[in-house]
Amino acid sequence: MRQLTEEETRTLFSKLAHYTGRSLNNLIAPPTEEGPAGEQHVFRLQGSRVFYMPLKLANLSVSIPRENLLSMGTMIGKFTKTGKFRLALTCLDVISPHARYKVWIKSNGVMPYLYGGNVLKAHVHRWSEDLPEHAGVLVFDDSDNCLGFGVTARSSAEAKKLDPTGIVVFRQADVGEYLREEDSLFTT
Amino acid sequence: MAPSISKPAHKGASSGGAKGAKGSKPLGSASRVNKKNAPKRPPPTEMKSKPRTMQSNMQKKKKRVYTEKELDLPELNAITPVGVVKPKGKKKGKTFVDDQEGMMTILAMVNAEKEGQIESKMMKARQLEEIREAKRKETEARIAEKKNKLENVKDSIRNKKKGKNADKAESSTSVAKTAKGKKKSVAFA
Repeated sequence: MRQLTEEETRTLFSKLAHYTGRSLNNLIAPPTEEGPAGEQHVFRLQGSRVFYMPLKLANLSVSIPRENLLSMGTMIGKFTKTGKFRLALTCLDVISPHARYKVWIKSNGVMPYLYGGNVLKAHVHRWSEDLPEHAGVLVFDDSDNCLGFGVTARSSAEAKKLDPTGIVVFRQADVGEYLREEDSLFTT
Repeated sequence: MAPSISKPAHKGASSGGAKGAKGSKPLGSASRVNKKNAPKRPPPTEMKSKPRTMQSNMQKKKKRVYTEKELDLPELNAITPVGVVKPKGKKKGKTFVDDQEGMMTILAMVNAEKEGQIESKMMKARQLEEIREAKRKETEARIAEKKNKLENVKDSIRNKKKGKNADKAESSTSVAKTAKGKKKSVAFA
């Protein structure tokens, strides 16, 4: 388990910034309301996977050999062999409070989404305003539970003209994966 | 006396010989003198030559330095692509970013970039939307014009028909009464 290099940090942050706004700073520097002794969180790389954890935990992890260490803290995602970064579903809890754009879906659209489908226009309850095309968006249900994240297929202006069966958000990850991908979700 | 004479004779002879020798060897003696004097003179010549050699050495060294630099420089004709070449002076290995400030600066840069991208996207989308609106309005205006034209033509035709009908009606009413008899009279076929 090691720290990220500059290049890796940049790619990781650019991916996170795709879904989150300015408040992403809080991930690194916890707000002062929590107190000056508020725990600093850090990103660590283990194999190709990036984990997000409090500094204390990261320091403790030194005592475990690399080969034996499977997971630590929250997994954010993994680096591909080409150097790109893929966000994993497990990062949902980390990014959902800092979301830049949100889409709320109706109750009749929740199940199709949790089974791995894209979000249709007919299922959309409401949008964040001024959504651009191909922007990262977090998907919520009616009662503000975060269900996953995706990428917008159309800008909000264009989506208004779309027919009800048109795809509005391409799914990237959804909570249903915890069941569907149960076997392979945490395998290295 | 003889010896005195002889001495001078000898002397003279010797001197003459010497003189003769001296006289005969001015060139040789000069060379000798030069040879004798040469070790005295060389130092300045050597002194002169040394700085030259030093300068030349210095120049050579400078040239070597340049050539080394030049060896570092080639990028265009190198076999390895520019992106793959590792910088020579830099330290090997990874540079980690673990301090909060470094991460914050990177994050700020990334954020600014991202916002710029989003802004440009929105601008593009708005411009496209405006263009589409303008086009739609144009097409609507054209359709409305066409409809108006058609209506006008229709109206004009109707008016004409009406006019004709009215004329006809008037004429027919007036003529019909008068021409009824004619018609009847004419309708022999």
